[in-house]
This record gives sequence, C-alpha cells and structure tokens, in this order.
Amino acid sequence: MILRATLFLWVAATMVAAFLWAPVVPVLGPTTRVLYFHIPSAWITVLALGWSMLHSALYLRTRDLKHDDHAAAAAELGLLFCIAATVTGSLWAHAMWGSYWNWDPRETSIFFLMLIYGAYLAMRSSIDEPARRARLSAIYSCIAFVAVPFLMFVVPRIYFSLHPDPIINTRGKVDMDPRIRWMFLSMLLAFTALFFWMLSLRVRLGRFERMHEARTDDHAHEAAAMAAGGRN
Amino acid sequence: MRNDASSSAAAIWAILRKECRSEWRTRYGISAALLFSITTLTSVSFAVGRLGDRGDILAALLWIVLLFASLAALSHSFVREVEGRTLTLLRLVASPTSIAIGKLLFNLLFLGVLELVTVPLFLVLMGAPPPHWGRFIALLGLGSAALAASSTLVGALIAQTRSRGSLFAAVSLPLLLPVLAAAVAGTRAQWSDGSIAAPVEMLAAYALAVMAMSLLLYDHLWED
Amino acid sequence: MSAGHAPAAAVERASRAATVEVRSLAHRYGSRLALEPQTFRLESGITAVTGANGSGKSTLLRIIAGLLRPSEGEVRVTVDGRDLEPGERRGSIGLATPELSFYEEMTAFENLEFAAEAHGLAAPARAAREALERVGLAQRADDRVGALSSGMRQRVRLAFASLGGPPLLLLDEPGSHLDDEGRATLERWIALVAPRTLVVLATNDEREWRLAERRIQLRGRDLGHPA
Repeated sequence: MILRATLFLWVAATMVAAFLWAPVVPVLGPTTRVLYFHIPSAWITVLALGWSMLHSALYLRTRDLKHDDHAAAAAELGLLFCIAATVTGSLWAHAMWGSYWNWDPRETSIFFLMLIYGAYLAMRSSIDEPARRARLSAIYSCIAFVAVPFLMFVVPRIYFSLHPDPIINTRGKVDMDPRIRWMFLSMLLAFTALFFWMLSLRVRLGRFERMHEARTDDHAHEAAAMAAGGRN
Repeated sequence: MRNDASSSAAAIWAILRKECRSEWRTRYGISAALLFSITTLTSVSFAVGRLGDRGDILAALLWIVLLFASLAALSHSFVREVEGRTLTLLRLVASPTSIAIGKLLFNLLFLGVLELVTVPLFLVLMGAPPPHWGRFIALLGLGSAALAASSTLVGALIAQTRSRGSLFAAVSLPLLLPVLAAAVAGTRAQWSDGSIAAPVEMLAAYALAVMAMSLLLYDHLWED
Repeated sequence: MSAGHAPAAAVERASRAATVEVRSLAHRYGSRLALEPQTFRLESGITAVTGANGSGKSTLLRIIAGLLRPSEGEVRVTVDGRDLEPGERRGSIGLATPELSFYEEMTAFENLEFAAEAHGLAAPARAAREALERVGLAQRADDRVGALSSGMRQRVRLAFASLGGPPLLLLDEPGSHLDDEGRATLERWIALVAPRTLVVLATNDEREWRLAERRIQLRGRDLGHPA
C-alpha cells in the first residue's frame, strides 16, 4: 500500500517536473520534454525483452510455469512500452525534422523489437495447451535472442549505409545540464518501478487465469463424466 | 546395434533420403515452390522492367523473391509430418537433433534447386549485369544457409500450433531480416565492385549462431 | 510363420534384460487429468494394462517410451542395468500404437527400411524383410502404405515394433483391425519373444490380456485423450 502510494507520487512528481522544472536542451527546444518519456520507454522495452527471454530460458530448464507467467507478462508489457516508445519517437522526429519515420538506426531497431514482440505474442495465442504453449514460445524466445543483437546493432548500420539520409540525426551526445541528468535518472527509475509493479500485477493475473481455467475445465469434465456415467 | 553414437549419422542420412524420396514421389512441395518463385519473378519483371544499371534495386528484388520463396516453401517439411501423423514414427527412430539436421539438409537442397531455376531466370529477365560469380555464389550460399536454418526451426515450431500458414511468415520475419539486410548489402556490393567482407562475415556469424542455438533447442521441441 | 530363427547378430542382438519402474506417475493435459497416479515395477514377461476408454493406457505407454514428458511422478527404464533417459530409450523399445502412421507414399518395405536404417541397424534391408515376414506381410512388402487396409497397416506397426528385437515392447491395442490369422501371428510372435523381452500390452480385449502373466488395471474413465 505504502509502496504503491510512493510509486504514484514519484511518477506524478517526475511527470510534473518534466514540464515545469527540467530545463530545455538548447538544440532541441521545447521538444526536449518528449525525451523524458521516449527514452525511458525504450529502455523498458529492452528491459522487458531481456526479462522475458531470461524467463523463457528458465522455463526450459525448470519447466516451472511460473517462469512462463513472467515471460508472457513481460512480453505484453514490453510491447506496450515499445509502442509508446515508437509513437513518442515518431512524434518527436516529426517535430524535429518534419517527417514521422525515417528508418534511421534507432527507429529501425525499435521497429524490429516490435516485430519480435508481435511474433512471440501471436505464437502464444495460437496454442491452447499451457505446457505446450509455454515450451514452444520459450523456444521461439531463445532463437529470437540470437537475432536481437544483429537486429539492434548490425542491421541498422547496414541499412543506414544502404540508404544514407540527407537529414542529419544529432541524437547523440546532449550537453548534460545536471538538472537534465537528474530528470533522466528519476524518470528512468519511475518507469522501471512502474514496469515491475505492472509486471507483478500481470503475473498474478496470469496465475489466476490458469487456476480459473483449471477449475472450469474440471467442472466441465466432471459434468461430462457424470453424464457419461449416467448413460452406462 | 540399435542407436549408438554413429547411428546419428545414419539417422540423418536416412531422413535426408526419405525426404528426397517423399518429395520426389509427390512432387507437391517443389512444384508449388517453383511456381511461386516464377510467379513472383514474373510479376516483378513485368512491373519493373529491365534494370541493367541499378545493382542496388536488383539486389533487393532478388533477395525479396528468394525470401518469399523460402516463406512459401520451407515450412512444409514439418507441416507434412504433423498432418500425416508421422511425427511419432520419426521421433521413435531418430533423436531430435538428427531430425533437425536431416530436415535442414533437405531444406538446403530444396532451396538450392529452387535457386538453380530462379536465379538465372532473374538475371536474364531483369537484364542484370553479370555478377562476380565467386562472390555472388558465396552470398547465395551463406544467405540460403541462414534462411534455411531459421525456417526449419520455425517450421518445426509452427507445425504444432493451430494457425500454421499465416503464422509462419509473421514469426519467421524477425529472424530473416538480418539475412535480408546483409545479403542485399553484399549482393549490391559485388555488383558495384565493392567489398563483400562485412556482409559475408555477418551472414556466416548469423547462420552459425542460429544453427548452434537451434541444436540446443530441438531437444525441447517434441515432448507430447 | 517364419521367425528368422538364426539369431543374426547383424539384425538383432542378444537379449538384454529390461525393467520398467514407475512411481506416482500421473499426467495432466493443462488441468485435465489424463492418467491417475500409478506405481509399479515390471521386470520380465508379459504384462497387460487394462482400463476403460480414457483411463490413460496410451498415455502411460507414451510416457514409458519417452515420447511424452509426464507432469508428475517418475518413470525409470533400465536396460542391462543402465538407466535410460527418455531421449535414449528409442533404441531399446518397440512401440506400436494406433497413432503410429507411416509415410503413405512409400511402401511398407521402404518405411521399415527407413526405420531400420535410422535406428542404426547394420543391415537395414534385411531387418525390414525379416520384420515383414514375421507379421506375414512379405507378399505386400512393395505396396504403398496408402494402399494397405487397416489390418495390414496394423501388421506394419507390429513389424515396426519388432525391428531389431528390442528388449522392451510396448503394444497399444495390438490386435485391433487384425483378422483371425493376424491374431494368431501376433500371439505366436509374443510367445516367441516373451522369454527375453519385457512386453507391455495396453488393451481392453480379452483375447489379448489373457496372454499376459500379470495385469495392471487403470481406474478412471473419460480422462483426457492424447490428441
């Protein structure tokens, strides 16, 4: 209860501070504010992916469905934050350079992550039996893990060299006014805490769903068995 | 003796022969795949015309055609096992790793046959400049190996789900994009007399990484 | 019925003692119970596993064969004093179940030769021929499986299970679809191998379980089906 209240206050405070207290980066102007949301979102996207993949590997090792709950929950949340990161990034790109999507290395990377999340969740939704669903999606997660470093780092460079853009991206080093640094850190912390809180909720929900499925399955089954027994 | 270490090689070879024989008897898979590639190729050629001087676009189009052909064709080997209910038989005579390698080799062969027809046709129809054959074939080989390795594993996964066809493309795509990027970059470079070292390294690294990881994962694929 | 009397070392091997031990073994598909907890130990001879439809006979056999990972409990298969992991058992067992299907576009002989070759048998073609003779299918060896009747397919399954003379035979409803002659062949084969093979028969057919020396009755009915 106290933790939740603290989280709420922290997130609220950082959001307000992002608009009122933190200074504006000279080069970027008022659009700076987006970065306070965009970059933490992207960070969570990657964190969630790592969490999901780790638990997939753990599931394959232990066959404990708790790990599958975590893998699935993290993937859902990761997709959410991925969409948030993509949208905020796109809006910011438009404000800065006039076009919503450029296929520059970072945009390309985030798009690839979205594809991986989408594929993983699509696979899960096509398998009914819990143990098989957990196993197959864990396998996919592990093979996707191999692709991620290539997709995040190598491919965007190759792509960028194939399509050199006249627009110059200066999203590199930003002069870090200490207030900006603090702002970033707090936002990062706030988002991370938010993510883990949402994750815990989603994992619990997942577990309840499984138990509920079990109970309805058993009831349906008992009913069927009784009906069949009646016939004999 | 039944199933000692050396029989893995026997199992792989037996599976490869069996796949080739089944394919030859029905010819369903290869005909559909060839038809598909040729159709794609014809559409592209018809829509775009000859592109003698555009090595960059030619490279991209070539690999898109090959990518589509893989997506269309390479899932079949496992789907057929599931639909024919022969997976039990397979699992009873060979280890998952042997099955994986056997199927991979078959898919490589399959892709090779497909390319033997498609690639020359592409070069001719699109008016492409003659490639540097050594480098061109190296890129084709490595790219195909990477495509086949990913597609075989994903095919094995998807065959056990409900919505097989539509899902295969979506699930494969993230794994195939690195191949596409590197292969296109390399093919384009060889037409513009550039260096193909970086793309080749990437393709080789990726193909090896995918194969290594798959070999670890195949043991978990079939447990029910 | 010819049975390949000369024990050709190339296609069979000397018998090895097999034991199956099962402890609190149960299985669920999702939440649905497919096999109620079982505990028993089998050391030699012929055992029948009986039970109503859906009591888990097929599930039990698949678990012992190593094809299905059980959700609870443990199963140990030992051959010649060595414990076999699920992934190692295929070389030592012969499994015949109704779900076992063959490649329709290949002949019975080709299917069996493929199996024998993949198993690593030294003379796969000969092993396949002998297996076909054992079940009385020598005449139909070169017919495509797609063209065979259900009774003949069942014989192919039995031939498959017999390849290489495994020390553990798991036969799920072995007599299904068989005519009288087929049944006689089946009974002769089981009687022949019983001294050196652990045979487990899953069946509801009295003609089959009376071949057994002991019987394990599975309770539970209409439990999950191994789809």
